[in-house]
Amino acid sequence: MTAVAEGWTPILPYAILAGGALAVFLAASLTKGRPSRVFAPISLLCALGAGLAALCAAPQAGIFAGTLDAGPFARFYQILTCGLTAGAILLLGGYSRRRGFERDELYALTLLAALGMCLLTAAVDWVILFLGLEMLSISLYVIIAAHKDAPQAAEAALKYFVLGAVASSFLLFGIALVYAATGETGVAESLRDAAQHGMEGIALLGFSCILVGLGFKISLAPFHLWTPDVYQGAPAPVTAFLSTGSKVAVFAALLRMALSESPLFARMDPVLWTLAALTMTAAPLGAMTQPSVKRMLAYSSAGHMGYLFMALLAAPIAGPGPIMFYSAVYGIMDMGAFGALSTLSPLDRDADDIMDFRGMGFDRPYAAGALALCLLTLAGLPPTAGFTGKFFLFESALSAGYVWLAVIGVISAIISVYYYLRVLAAMYMRAPEWAPARESAPGSYAVLALACAGALALGLLPAPVLSVMAASAPFTP
Amino acid sequence: MNAFPLLSTLIFLPLLGALATVLLSRSPALCRAAALGTALAELLLAACAIPLAADPGTILAENAAWIPSFGIRYALAMDGLSGLLVLMTAFLGVLAVLTSFKEITKRPGAYYAFLLAVETSACGVFLAKDLFLFYLFWEVQLVPMFFLIGVWGHEDRRKAALKFFLFSIAGGMLMLLAVIGAWLAQPEGARTFSLAALMAAPAAPHVQNWLFAAFFLAFAVKMPIVPVHTWLPDAHTQAPTAGSVILAGVLLKTGAYGLIRLAFPLFPDAAALSVPLLFVLGLAGLYHASLCALAQTDAKRLVAYSSVAHMALIVIGVAAWNAVSLSGAMLQMINHALTTGGLFIMIGMLSRRSGSRELASFGGVWKRSPVLGAFFLFFCMASAGLPGLNNFVSELLTLVGTWTGHPGVAAAAFAGAVLTLTYVLKLAQGTLFGTPAATQPEQWPDAEPLELCVLSPLAASILYLGFAPQAVLDMLRGPVSDFLPRIPQLFQ
Repeated sequence: MTAVAEGWTPILPYAILAGGALAVFLAASLTKGRPSRVFAPISLLCALGAGLAALCAAPQAGIFAGTLDAGPFARFYQILTCGLTAGAILLLGGYSRRRGFERDELYALTLLAALGMCLLTAAVDWVILFLGLEMLSISLYVIIAAHKDAPQAAEAALKYFVLGAVASSFLLFGIALVYAATGETGVAESLRDAAQHGMEGIALLGFSCILVGLGFKISLAPFHLWTPDVYQGAPAPVTAFLSTGSKVAVFAALLRMALSESPLFARMDPVLWTLAALTMTAAPLGAMTQPSVKRMLAYSSAGHMGYLFMALLAAPIAGPGPIMFYSAVYGIMDMGAFGALSTLSPLDRDADDIMDFRGMGFDRPYAAGALALCLLTLAGLPPTAGFTGKFFLFESALSAGYVWLAVIGVISAIISVYYYLRVLAAMYMRAPEWAPARESAPGSYAVLALACAGALALGLLPAPVLSVMAASAPFTP
Repeated sequence: MNAFPLLSTLIFLPLLGALATVLLSRSPALCRAAALGTALAELLLAACAIPLAADPGTILAENAAWIPSFGIRYALAMDGLSGLLVLMTAFLGVLAVLTSFKEITKRPGAYYAFLLAVETSACGVFLAKDLFLFYLFWEVQLVPMFFLIGVWGHEDRRKAALKFFLFSIAGGMLMLLAVIGAWLAQPEGARTFSLAALMAAPAAPHVQNWLFAAFFLAFAVKMPIVPVHTWLPDAHTQAPTAGSVILAGVLLKTGAYGLIRLAFPLFPDAAALSVPLLFVLGLAGLYHASLCALAQTDAKRLVAYSSVAHMALIVIGVAAWNAVSLSGAMLQMINHALTTGGLFIMIGMLSRRSGSRELASFGGVWKRSPVLGAFFLFFCMASAGLPGLNNFVSELLTLVGTWTGHPGVAAAAFAGAVLTLTYVLKLAQGTLFGTPAATQPEQWPDAEPLELCVLSPLAASILYLGFAPQAVLDMLRGPVSDFLPRIPQLFQ
C-alpha cells in the first residue's frame, strides 16, 4: 500500500494541474461555452491543491526514470509557482469577469502554464526542460491575447510569440549541440561532462545558445527589449503571472544548471559577468524615463533578474539559498505590484500612466497602500523582504569575489529607487484628478493582503524560511 | 540582561502610537491626543532610563537571536551617549507633536503616525548594538521622513522629498556593501554582526579603507558634510515645522552618531588616515555654510545652512579625537538639536503669522509681539554661542580640545565662529527690528499658551545646559573613555 502511495505522490502536482485544465474544459462544454463562474474556483482549487501536494510529498531522488527531480529544490519552486498561479487566478477572476472575457481557455491555459512551470523546475533532462518551457510559453501566448477587445493585448501576444519562438529555437538548437557534444540528455550530466569528449567547443556553442534562449525568457539585457511592450499590452493580472511565475520557473532551471559543477560555467564566466552587468545597467536606465508604470515595472523586473543573475554566478561557491529566497521575494512583490495595479485599474483600460495614480494614496488607501509597500519592497528598503533578499544576494556575490559586480548592482539599485519613488510621489503627493471606480474585488484584495504580509514576514523573520532552505541545500541537481 | 525590555519598549512604543493614530484618523482631536500621549510616555520612559544608563553598575542591554545562519542578533544596549540622544529624541518628539497641532490640518492620522515612526527608527539607530540591526533602522528612517516632507511640506515639497531620499539612499546602499564586507572580513565560521566583536578584530588596513569610505559617505550625507549637503537646505525649507525640527534635531544626529560610534571605532586604521580630510571638510563646511547662510533671504534656509555649519564643528571635534574635543562634539550634538529646533519652531510660528518665510516679510517682530521676540533673540544668541547658553559650552570644548593637538585647525575654526555671529545677527536684525513689513497682516497675536508650552521647556533646557553642563558631561565620560583608546594611532 505504501509503495503505491510513494509511487503516486510525487506526480500528484502534475496530475492535479493537468486534471484541473481538463476539468475546466469539461465544465465549459457543460455550460456550452458561456462565461461561467465555476472556472475560477475550479482552477484556484487545483493550483492550491498542486501546491499542497508538492508541500506534503516526501522528497525523492527522481521519478519517471530519473527525468524529473522530486527533491526539495524542485518542490520549493513548485510550491512557489503554484502559489503564484493561485494568486494570478484570484486576480484574473474579478478582472476578467468585469471586462467580459472570463472564458474557459483563460483558466485552463493558466493551469497548463503552471504545469509547464512545474515541469521546468523539476526537469533534470533536456527534453523535459524544453517540453516544460514550451508548454509554459505557448499557454502564455494565448493568455496574453485572451482579452479580445483590447487591441494592444493582441499586439503584445504577437510580439511575444514571434520573439519567443526565435528564443525557443535557439534553446532547442543549443540543446541539440550539447547533446551532440556529449551524447547525454541529462542537464547536469551533459554540462558536467562537456569537456570529456573532446568537443568542448561545440558544447560551449550549445550552452551559449541555451543561455540566449533562457536569457530571453527572463529578459536579460540585451534580450530584454520585448519586456516593456508585452507587459504594457497584456492585461494587468496576466502581466502579474507572466512576470512572476514564468520568470521564477525559468530561473529555477538556470540555477539547476549553475549548480551542476560544469566546466562550461567557468569558461563562460566573463560572458555571464557581462550579461549580469549589462542587465543591471540597462534595466534602470530604461525604467528611469518611463511615464508608463507598467513599462517601468517591466524594466524593473529585468533589473531584478540582473541581481538574481549576479547571484547565479556566485551560486557554485555561495550556494543556491540566496537565489531561492530572492525568487520567492521577487514573486511576492511583483505579484503584489501588478495585482495592485489591476485593482486600481478602471474598467476601460489599465491604470498605466503615472498621472493615473495621482492622489490614489488617500483615495483608495488599501490598494494604493499595497502598491506602495510592494514598491518599497522592490526598492529594497527595510524592513521589507526586498531588503533582506538583496542583503543575501549581495552577500553571496561578495563572498564569491564578485565585488565589482556587486558595486554595479548597488548603483543600479540606487537608481531604481528613483523610479519607484516617482510613483509613490504621484500617489501621495499630488491631488487626485479623477475618481476611479470602486468595485468590490475580494479576490484581488486577498492577493494584496497576502503579498503585503509575505513582504513583511520574509523581511522581519527570514530565519525559519532560511532554515528550510538550508535543509534543502544538499541536493543532487 | 534586565527583566523588563525597557529598550525595546523605548523603540517600539512610538510605533504603537503610530498605529493608534492611524486607527483614530477619523477624529483629528483623538489623533492629536494619542500622538501627544505617546510622545509624553516616551519622554517619561526615556527619563526613567537615563539614571540607569548613567550608572556604570547597571548594564542596560537586550540580546536575542534573530537570523542565526548569518550571526545576526537583536542586540540593544544603552550607554550615556545613547541615553542622552534617546532622551533628546523623545523631548523633541513632544515638541514636534505640539507644534503640529495648529499647523497640520490635512490627514492628521497619517501625519502623526509618520512623525512617531521617525522616533522609532531614530531610537533604534541610537540603541542598536548589532550592525545589521543598526543598518535596518538607519534605512527605515528615510521612509517616514520622505512622506513628512513630501505630503505635508510647502510648495516645492515633492522635489525636496525625492532629493532627500535619493541622497540618503545613495550613501546607505553603498554602506550596505560595506556592512557585508565587514562581515566577510572576519574569519569564516566565527562571523557576526556584533559591534563589540567587529571592533575587537578590525579588518586588514587596505580593506578598512574601502569600508570606511562607504560608511563615511553614508554618514556624511546624513550629517551633512560639505560637499554632499545640498539636499539639506531644500529638505529643511520645504518640510513642515515639526519635520524640520526632527530632521535637524534627530536625523542629522544619527549621522554624527554613526561617525563616532561606528565609522571610527570599526575601522581605526582608515579613520586615523582620514583625519586630515575630515579637518579640511569640516573647515570647508564651516566657512561655506556660513557664507551661504549670509546670502539667504528665506529664514528657514538660513537656519538650514547654519545647521550645516554647526555640524561641521562636530566633524572637527571628532577628527581631533581627544577627550575634550570628543565630549564637546557629543554635547554639541544635543545643543545643536535644541537651538536649531528652537529656531525652526520660531520661524514656523512667525511665518504662520506673516504668511511667508522671507526675511523681508518679517521685521518689527519685537514691537508687535515682545514675548515671541524675546524667545527668538534668546535662541539666536544660543546659536551664536553666547556665554551662559548651551552652544558656548560645547563649541568651547570642541575648539579647546582641537587646539591641544591641532592649533592651526582650531584657530581657523574659531575664526569661522565669527561668521556665525554675522549671519545670526542678520537673522535677528531682519526679523526682530526695523519697521514691520507692509505685507504683514493686521492680526499678529503674541505668544499663545500652546506656543509657550513649546518654547519654555526648550529655553529652560538651553539655559540648563549653558550653566550646568556637568551632569551631561559626566554621562558622556564613560562613552568617551570607551571610544578614545579604540584608535591607538590618534590616542596619546
